Amino acid sequence: MEDVLWYVLASSRGGPTRVRILRALEERPRNANQLATELELDYTTIRHHLDVLMENNVVRRTDDDYAAVYLFTDQVRSNWDTVETVLEAVDSDSEAR
Amino acid sequence: MSTLFTIAWVAAAVNVVLLVALGWVWVQGYRRHGASHTLGLLVFASLLLVQNGVWLYFYRLHEGYIGWFVNAGTDVQVGMVLLCGLETVALAFLVRITWS
Repeated sequence: MEDVLWYVLASSRGGPTRVRILRALEERPRNANQLATELELDYTTIRHHLDVLMENNVVRRTDDDYAAVYLFTDQVRSNWDTVETVLEAVDSDSEAR
Repeated sequence: MSTLFTIAWVAAAVNVVLLVALGWVWVQGYRRHGASHTLGLLVFASLLLVQNGVWLYFYRLHEGYIGWFVNAGTDVQVGMVLLCGLETVALAFLVRITWS
């Protein structure tokens, strides 16, 4: 799980956007539309990043409805210390922005 | 013969392009957050870039090497093609993950 998190959040092109998505989902579960509005990004962009996060077992959707809410997987919850470590390393300058 | 020779040097050239693309993503990431995971990948890409630069030099400019390749048996030629060609396949998978 640890190397997946580093790759998906730190070492790939969409990493910064996926960090923002995880931060938003950490506050509360949201659907793709709410994430698009909150992060001021295209719905299709959000869906792409959510698909990557789902393929890597970082998030899951509550059902197949288009308004489905995204949650962290059990795997991520049980590795939350690792998630925090990665987010802090990657997101260290976010407060300055 | 010439087909194998062409595949070999084109594979080395494609590797250079793929490694520059990967390196660009990782340089941007490393400059943003300085994570050691990204730095490791950057070192990996830099070394493979040097390696493929050497291959390109041999295939395009080194007459001694070109002559040796042309006169080598098919088994050796196929083996040389696989050295760069399999790396192209491997890098393509990495690009797919990294560019998403």
